[in-house]
Amino acid sequence: MKLIISVLTLSLLFASSALAHFQLLYTPESALERGQTIELRHVFTHPFEDEHTMDMGKQHDTKKLSAVEEFFVVHRGEKTDLRKSLKQISFKGNKNAGVGFASQYAARRMGDHLFVIQPAPYFEASEDGYIQQITKMVVNVAGLPTDWNSTLGLKAEILPLTPPYAIWTGSTFTGVVMSEGQPVPFAEIEIEYLNHDIDLAANAMGPARVEAPQDSFVTLSLIADANGTFTFGLPKAGWWGFAALGVGPDDEFKGKELSQDAVIWVQVRDMK
Amino acid sequence: MEKLFFTPLMIMVFTIAAYAHTPLMACFDEGDGTVTCEGGFSDGSSASGVEFLVKQGDKVVLQSRLNEFSEINFEKPEGDYQAVFNAGEGHVVTINGKDIF
Repeated sequence: MKLIISVLTLSLLFASSALAHFQLLYTPESALERGQTIELRHVFTHPFEDEHTMDMGKQHDTKKLSAVEEFFVVHRGEKTDLRKSLKQISFKGNKNAGVGFASQYAARRMGDHLFVIQPAPYFEASEDGYIQQITKMVVNVAGLPTDWNSTLGLKAEILPLTPPYAIWTGSTFTGVVMSEGQPVPFAEIEIEYLNHDIDLAANAMGPARVEAPQDSFVTLSLIADANGTFTFGLPKAGWWGFAALGVGPDDEFKGKELSQDAVIWVQVRDMK
Repeated sequence: MEKLFFTPLMIMVFTIAAYAHTPLMACFDEGDGTVTCEGGFSDGSSASGVEFLVKQGDKVVLQSRLNEFSEINFEKPEGDYQAVFNAGEGHVVTINGKDIF
């Protein structure tokens, strides 16, 4: 009996740990004083521990990686396809390298530039299933709010109720988990801190900034309320990722289970 | 009587709204001898029709207004200049030409 309980406990622990994947959509600075060309990196990783960097688009039935399904920006309500700007890279994590992408974008005009990437589902062998994280990130130019609060009607989406680029350390971020434009009640949300500097020139993760006192602090979690809304206090400057798990309508891919998740990244600043 | 009461109330509301946010402007060099400036307010409201000036010292070399998209394009002056977004007292943004690129 003890053995059964132990196995079950271990299974739960590994399941929980294995779910802490985050599609990173990174740029160094989300609140720009003026328009400029920005660097973006797209990496499927574990942002706190960086214990493994995944190959984006990995499939179970072929060695060929599947292409990114969508990558676009919305600015003043206008959507622009950016898939052609993606250049495949080998991104070096602290433990291994994985296939990701680099891109550049001319964030020239004043206002919000709302980025969305929808990678192909990724085959996670340890779960014998696929994960697809539809990911948002917002860059603002010169302080004019335009698009950050737009609902895009994505299959899985976190609608921010706080501008994701204007958050002081110690304040909060509020969002609504949505699927195809409708709130998702009691959605399960995982939260991780990007615990490493990213070297854009080397396409590499730097060393860890902080150490978790215990595993519970690596991937934090909460449950949205009956309206899909959640609020989380942000204790440290840097990038924080929120992932609402399995909220999209697609639950199967190539005959295997699919978790279609919504991810949003927010950047927190110290008051100096 | 209802209308007479309502109108001053609405004016008060709009006056408060107009002063409760920060004026914003960003400019960039188009690389073709012209400069584009965009204006707005921190609550996202339009700056269409707001006065826009280009100054060289105390001399105003261009006096115009932002268009329906809250922007303006003008020929880049020779030498030092300032782009000025003038939304009224306490709501002025000035950018030096040397900071526009």
